[in-house]
Amino acid sequence: MKGQAKTKKHQKPVAWLLTAGLSLILLAVFLVSAASAQRKMVQIKGSDTMVNLVQIMAEEYMAKNPGTALAVVGGGSGTGITAIINGTCDLANHSREWKKSELDLAYEKGVRPRIFAIAVDALSIVVNEKNSIDSLTMAQVGSIFRGEIKNWKVLGGPDQKISLYGRQSNSGTYSFLQEHVLNNKNYSPEVKEMNGNAQIIEAVTQDAAGIGYVGVGYVYNDQGQLRKGIKVLKIKKDENSPEYSPLDKDAVYSAKYAVSRPLYQSTNGKPSAAVSQFLKFELSPEGQAIVEREGFFRIGKDLMEQNEKNLR
Amino acid sequence: MNPKRKIQGGRKPVLAGWLLILAIGLLGPGISQAQAQQKFSGTVFFDYTFYLSDKGPITTPPGDNPNFKNNFMQFRRVYFRYDNKINNNISFRLTLDGDTVKATDAGSKPDDKFRPFLKHMYLQISELIPDADLKVGMADTITFKLAEDRWGYRSVAKTLLDGYKDITGKEIDATSADLGVSLTGKIARPVRYGLMLTNGAGYSHPEGDKYKKLMGQLHLIPLPGLSVVGYVDYEKQEEGAKALTYKGDLFIESIPGLILGAEYFVYRNDKNLVEGQRSDRSGFSVFGRYNLISDKLNVFARFDRYEPDDLINDDQISLVIAGLDWAPMNSSFKLQPNIWVYDYQDPLKKNDVIFNLTFMMAF
Repeated sequence: MKGQAKTKKHQKPVAWLLTAGLSLILLAVFLVSAASAQRKMVQIKGSDTMVNLVQIMAEEYMAKNPGTALAVVGGGSGTGITAIINGTCDLANHSREWKKSELDLAYEKGVRPRIFAIAVDALSIVVNEKNSIDSLTMAQVGSIFRGEIKNWKVLGGPDQKISLYGRQSNSGTYSFLQEHVLNNKNYSPEVKEMNGNAQIIEAVTQDAAGIGYVGVGYVYNDQGQLRKGIKVLKIKKDENSPEYSPLDKDAVYSAKYAVSRPLYQSTNGKPSAAVSQFLKFELSPEGQAIVEREGFFRIGKDLMEQNEKNLR
Repeated sequence: MNPKRKIQGGRKPVLAGWLLILAIGLLGPGISQAQAQQKFSGTVFFDYTFYLSDKGPITTPPGDNPNFKNNFMQFRRVYFRYDNKINNNISFRLTLDGDTVKATDAGSKPDDKFRPFLKHMYLQISELIPDADLKVGMADTITFKLAEDRWGYRSVAKTLLDGYKDITGKEIDATSADLGVSLTGKIARPVRYGLMLTNGAGYSHPEGDKYKKLMGQLHLIPLPGLSVVGYVDYEKQEEGAKALTYKGDLFIESIPGLILGAEYFVYRNDKNLVEGQRSDRSGFSVFGRYNLISDKLNVFARFDRYEPDDLINDDQISLVIAGLDWAPMNSSFKLQPNIWVYDYQDPLKKNDVIFNLTFMMAF
């Protein structure tokens, strides 16, 4: 009853509890030892646009540095950033910047993202090679993917209903196009959501009325030649501007091509020694040569300086 | 007829009507250019349970029953979920939950079949208020979510408040989902809030009285990875009586791979009287989990202390839960062996020790 002093807790044999607790601790120690061996493998996760590029760089890095181990998987930029926040990868690939909601979540979970730009991508709008259209304005691309322009005839092309191919919402390319070309409006419900860039290329190759968006690295085949069956459209900022192709290096480097973007990698805080070494390789002249070989573009001086600062 | 009741009866449709108008008004313009993303997902918790002791209140064979089940298999929960992202700001969720429910069939034959019931059915609207999400319908309450996210092992055990009745047999009017309206958001990155107005009856029952439950929460993050949460809910019970829950949480997530949490609460209900005095229920919990191998292996442990009645001696219960979380292939299938140790303050009650091999499947 209230007011009465509570009786002291009665003692019970606890030997078995201690035994069980000790067993668990020993098991945990064993598992931590096993885990530390596993942790040597650098886990890289995220952007589908970047997965091939980073995979190739990882392979060349491992070949040059025996004993190192890196695993690269895709899943989309959102997946990579979520993995960094949840501590399930060491390096996140992402083809867009962090969203405000992701930065909020990172803060809540004590994650301090350090962001590195490792390459530049020229987002490429591709159509079937049979399509007579050669160029579009940014506004026209936006109208097409919002579903406002539904037939190629409106744009001077064939009288065919436009087939839209795009990515899922966890894709950085999806978010980038929505923000920079669709003016943050919604995609048309007619967009067929593909799992990756390669699937978009394949779909547009097969569909004479198709249009899709991919990272520039995906318009080339393994031999570095433009893939057959597709046409990469030139883009104009507006009706009165000159048109530029994402395949035109000078236009991309001079920022005349309107839809280019850095490709990023993020760590939680200062990169570990293993991750730092790989980042340095990616940013080295050798790594940047791979970037160009794979169809993407080297990063500029400003981004490189920022990277070096973040590596410290 | 009681005129007061008549007036009150008329308010509910008015409120519901306003909510509907609000939802339709927002939803309508979006539908024409909406990009609906639909997703089905599900989670299953399956246990093989084995009693390691045979003298405690849970594990003692009643009346020396030789058929007492000291090991058994069970589906503890099955969730089937449908999400529809109508556009960037509007989404809809429907969750069917499954649990073993005692009932009688059409022939009045009793059974304990595993039956589905509605857990969630709500519309979520984002950015109607800057940096905030509004939910209308049967939605998660704000009571457990932050602790449950940190504990991370709903498949093994509910969090302190959520599982309080299961452990102590005492009601504390806390539910994981309820019918009403919630608003959660942030004022600044380190300052988040939550407000919710619900029936107060939970997802298992229709509204049982004319009173509504109001919940409020303030979530402060003074440093990255350090969360301090204060929560209070209030519901008028009947003439002159009220029920209140006060809760505080602390979460530390700043060490990579490690999450630590602590929770303390007090439940006060003027209707809980012992010889004319109000008796309060309370409890606290500390827990932690650590990632040993990324995406593969975690270890977790928790200590709960339950005080079902502050006017009664020797009724406290301590509970220790510890285990491993192993994803042999990927995160869609996990094995979570865990042990539960109940220690009772009552000298007449011996400890219960229970082992569970929990399988968690998700798709």
